[in-house]
Amino acid sequence: MKDRYDHENIYWIPILIIFVFLLPLILKGISFSYKYYLFVLNLAGIYIILNVGLDLLSGFTGLVSLGHAAFLAVGAYTSAIMVDQLGVPFSLSLILSPVIVGLFGFIIGFPALRISGMYLGLTTMGFGFIVKRIIISFRDWTQGSAGLEVSSPVLFGYTIKSDLDNYYLIYTFVIVAIIIGRRIATSKIGRSFMAIRDSEQAAEASGINLSQYKMLAFFISGLFAGFAGVLFAHTSSFISTDHFDILLSIYFIIMVLVGGASSIYGAVLGSLFIVLLDNLFVPLIEDQIQLLFNTQAGDIQSLIFGLIMFLFIIFQPMGLYGMWLKMRIYWKLFPFNPRQRFT
Amino acid sequence: MPDLIIDNLTMRFSGLVALDEVSFSVKNNEIFSLIGPNGSGKTTLFNCINGFNKPQNGKIYFNGDNLLGKKAHRIIHSGISRTFQNVQNIPFMTILDNILLGANSRIDALDTLKRCVSRDQRKTEESMALEIMDFLGMANYEQKFMMGQPFAIQKLAEIARALVSKPKLILLDEPAAGMNDQETREIANIIRDIRDELGVTVLLVEHDMNLVMSISDRICVLESGKILALGKPNVVKDDPKVIESYLGEPLDA
Repeated sequence: MKDRYDHENIYWIPILIIFVFLLPLILKGISFSYKYYLFVLNLAGIYIILNVGLDLLSGFTGLVSLGHAAFLAVGAYTSAIMVDQLGVPFSLSLILSPVIVGLFGFIIGFPALRISGMYLGLTTMGFGFIVKRIIISFRDWTQGSAGLEVSSPVLFGYTIKSDLDNYYLIYTFVIVAIIIGRRIATSKIGRSFMAIRDSEQAAEASGINLSQYKMLAFFISGLFAGFAGVLFAHTSSFISTDHFDILLSIYFIIMVLVGGASSIYGAVLGSLFIVLLDNLFVPLIEDQIQLLFNTQAGDIQSLIFGLIMFLFIIFQPMGLYGMWLKMRIYWKLFPFNPRQRFT
Repeated sequence: MPDLIIDNLTMRFSGLVALDEVSFSVKNNEIFSLIGPNGSGKTTLFNCINGFNKPQNGKIYFNGDNLLGKKAHRIIHSGISRTFQNVQNIPFMTILDNILLGANSRIDALDTLKRCVSRDQRKTEESMALEIMDFLGMANYEQKFMMGQPFAIQKLAEIARALVSKPKLILLDEPAAGMNDQETREIANIIRDIRDELGVTVLLVEHDMNLVMSISDRICVLESGKILALGKPNVVKDDPKVIESYLGEPLDA
């Protein structure tokens, strides 16, 4: 049979991968503060991995999670304890810790079989508080709220120390995460997730086991978050409970929404957009605003994020990826029907 | 040999008796219609067969399997698929993906894994859906998003989603609701083709009497959960009880 499926254009992907690997060298050439840029990009990379998983859970399956900072924390602390205190090699921890976080996600998934929407969001938020409290109370392992020093990752006998090494480590896994996320999203599993979000009846009549797939969504999301957590712990070399605030969970949701829910590329764009904005743009205007109003350091960040989310929900509910799709259709049809909308 | 046997089925929603000791059987390769006024229990019967409702009493057998013990998502594995009265589609997926949703029961975990490493699996998946789309005459729609499609296409896509699982029995819940005359005639042809060419038994709920009378082999009339009449279309059409409760007197009478 003739192949009628419009395979997406994949020729730009190798070019993009080469660009990602050359970017540090370009930055080094053009800027003095390239180490800071690398640090910001590393953070963005970790959030990309997490948000691909969050998008599969909240964007595709429609199960809102406000506890993803806790997933990140569990991943980070598990790996830190395993590598530094139990002597597990980093490469093994890279596999084990995400599985442990995935199983944690599995446990959190149980309430999702009964509740949905805002109530599920509140339940996962409660999970976030519980995890923070547990980390503080296990003082022997985690040193409580004082924070935990974490060793640098060692892969195949090579210690990864500098920001540049971290960049290559993180972005290798970012590419892998995006590819796996895309494959999950376009397969039977992704279709089932979207069916659960939009019509549970149709999903069930099509032979989808609702509870099994909801748990699977939490498990997959936990795997991604655990992976991000491992990389976060070992590349930032210090973790404490302050890193995994409830506000971070909300920022993750903002990243997914701004990028465009239920598209993997959207999660990537959203994470990059918000992290770069937070670290490169906010410091520029912070001083001016502080002259005008008497504000604390974190206030401006929250103000800008809130405003961005507000504007995106009103004017661009499909997010950045939706904007890109609209632009592409616009240019395809350019002289004719330029007001064509994405439908 | 009867394909689907419904025996003494009783379904109560706390006080309201939706189905009251309904018994009938549907033969293999038959177009069997259920008609009746609103609230007479037609959709409830579908939901019972489909596993969405758990009846208090009675039995449903399909090819010798007892369906009542099964969960809703296992019913499709016994070879029964259905469409819905108010279309249940996934608006943000392409029509092709919507139809492939129905093929879920035919794609096992190994296929899903293969799909991660090679593109060939995608082609085999697609060919399942494209076959059915060509059969229903909706070629060239596969790349369009479900959102914003005409109602007739959405209804057809739902039938395609039900057919792609290769069922032995398809439950069609008001396939012609909201359609104009032209589209209703097309639906009638499609239902006949489903039976004749695909060999699928059809259980139909419909309010369009011309459609029902022209294509059905047998008709069952329900009223307040009880069977009022059951038989060939011309017998049911002239039954005085059916005329009184549902069809109404002919104008020239």
